[in-house]
Amino acid sequence: MAAVDLAQNTLDGLMIGSSYALLAIGFTLIFGVMRRLNLAYGPTIMAGVYLGTAAFISFGAPSLVVLAIVIIGASLVGLYVERLCFRPFGEAARTASMVASFALWMQIEEAAMHMLPQHMNPFPPLLAASPLEIGPLMLRADHLIMLAATLLLAGAVTYLLARTKLGLAIRAVIDQPRAAAIVGIHVERIMMLTFVLASAIGGFAGFLIAATDAQVTAMMGMWATTKGLVAMMLGGLGSVKGAIAGGLLLGVLEAHAQWFLGPQVRDMVAWGLLFVILAFWPGGLMGAKALDRTMAVGRRV
Amino acid sequence: MDTYVITVLSNIGMISFVALSAYILLLSGQISFGQQAYFGIGAYTAGIATVMWQWPIAGALVLGALAASVAAGLVGLATLRLSGIYFAMATLAFAEIMRIAAELFVYRREIGGVETGPDGIDGFRDIRYFFANDISPFQSCLIVYALLAAVLAALFIVERTRGGRLLRQVGEDPLLAEVQGIDVMRVRMAAALSAGAVAGLGGGLYAHLMTYVEPRSFDIMLGVHALAYGLIGGLGTALGPLLGVLIDIGLLESTRIFRGYRMIVFGGLVAVLLIVRPRGLLDEVAISRIRQALRRRRHAGG
Repeated sequence: MAAVDLAQNTLDGLMIGSSYALLAIGFTLIFGVMRRLNLAYGPTIMAGVYLGTAAFISFGAPSLVVLAIVIIGASLVGLYVERLCFRPFGEAARTASMVASFALWMQIEEAAMHMLPQHMNPFPPLLAASPLEIGPLMLRADHLIMLAATLLLAGAVTYLLARTKLGLAIRAVIDQPRAAAIVGIHVERIMMLTFVLASAIGGFAGFLIAATDAQVTAMMGMWATTKGLVAMMLGGLGSVKGAIAGGLLLGVLEAHAQWFLGPQVRDMVAWGLLFVILAFWPGGLMGAKALDRTMAVGRRV
Repeated sequence: MDTYVITVLSNIGMISFVALSAYILLLSGQISFGQQAYFGIGAYTAGIATVMWQWPIAGALVLGALAASVAAGLVGLATLRLSGIYFAMATLAFAEIMRIAAELFVYRREIGGVETGPDGIDGFRDIRYFFANDISPFQSCLIVYALLAAVLAALFIVERTRGGRLLRQVGEDPLLAEVQGIDVMRVRMAAALSAGAVAGLGGGLYAHLMTYVEPRSFDIMLGVHALAYGLIGGLGTALGPLLGVLIDIGLLESTRIFRGYRMIVFGGLVAVLLIVRPRGLLDEVAISRIRQALRRRRHAGG
């Protein structure tokens, strides 16, 4: 039986972990280009999801429309965050951006609670199908969709960064913002585009997460920020591959911790792992042992 | 005095301790998202000392501050060589671990026929030292401000000595400080230890004034607010964080004009302030201007 439990937990963890990985990819994009932390990333996603939920509650909008609203909403809120927290500050004022993004977090959360005052709100579920059974293991179809979406999106982001002209410009800005400006890249526009792209990815992730839960609360903002951050840090800042590995690892670890030790210890394990990795192994899982990690960040994205 | 005013003043005073704690680390160039952990450690330790061990309040507060300081030192050993967001995340991770640990922490004993003590997620209730010793809310508010004044005086004195200059030098440019022969790790450790103690003292006061403390009292919101207070109030003087607390709690939370919209106003205010004044209202430039003006007036007058 123990072997089945172990396998089932690992499977569940991988599925939940794929949502963490999606969040971590968005974080990684923003961190890679800006070298700054956007604490309002989770609340941005939550705001998008709330807009979608509002449309669902008021007009009974179908899933695809809700998805579009969530992505567009998250992108717009992301644009607002970029304008107020990132655009005005130079790269030197990293603290200022981080604290400003926290301030907007508070703002977005309160605004969302004015929009939908109820604590818990319904969200259109993705599929109502009963779980698949593979031998003794159970698998939810919407979780499978989430995992597939994560891999697909990671592939798309990698393709975008490695093969397209926009990706080349993004990588140039990451490597050498000043040199990029000299060769005629509009650095501010690239930063804004990346920011909006990351917010849209976050909106997509938020839609999948809310649809699997079939409900959403304003706590989703904080949840998404902390899970995404931990997953990104576990994977070592700044690589898409690392973000996926970090997300999946966090998911598996949490699933086992919850099964064996309970939900409170589950959260403690995630934070404990992050602490240990930062203190003793600061490059993260996929991290190089380079002295100048910030330099390495750029090269690895 | 009106009890409501006293409560607000006490709140401002108690939160100021955490804000000062974050401020000390900000001066040393470190952004901590986790000072609330030491606030919590101080609160639980001091509470346990008066309730379970029947200590007098002074000893309990000292013990709380000491425990918080020791914890900050241990965490510092592992984290102080990190910088930037790595340090911020490590401190946040520690604070969340402590908060969850408090949710699991049960230490009940029968005192005077009643079972009492920290009870996991329900928190630690009936810390009734002030009530049992006939200390009025007004008097306890005075205690808060007397201790706050003592901490402020200590900070002002340190800022005028070599230690204060070392602290700012390390915060400004750790590499340059290292090249000049400053032991950066030692300066940071001193900052972490004192920041922990200050937060722990505030926590001990909080537990006794509120008569209860629960894990939720020191979640991430407290830590990041404490950080924001220094950044909006200003990093030029220890009065900066206090100004930040005053703006948030005194102006936004306590007056009822912004009810329901406090965070929208405060959040927007912080974001805009950071653009206009990246090191806060009372930044170093403002402080040196004020000092010059005072000096000139003194010369003109004398």
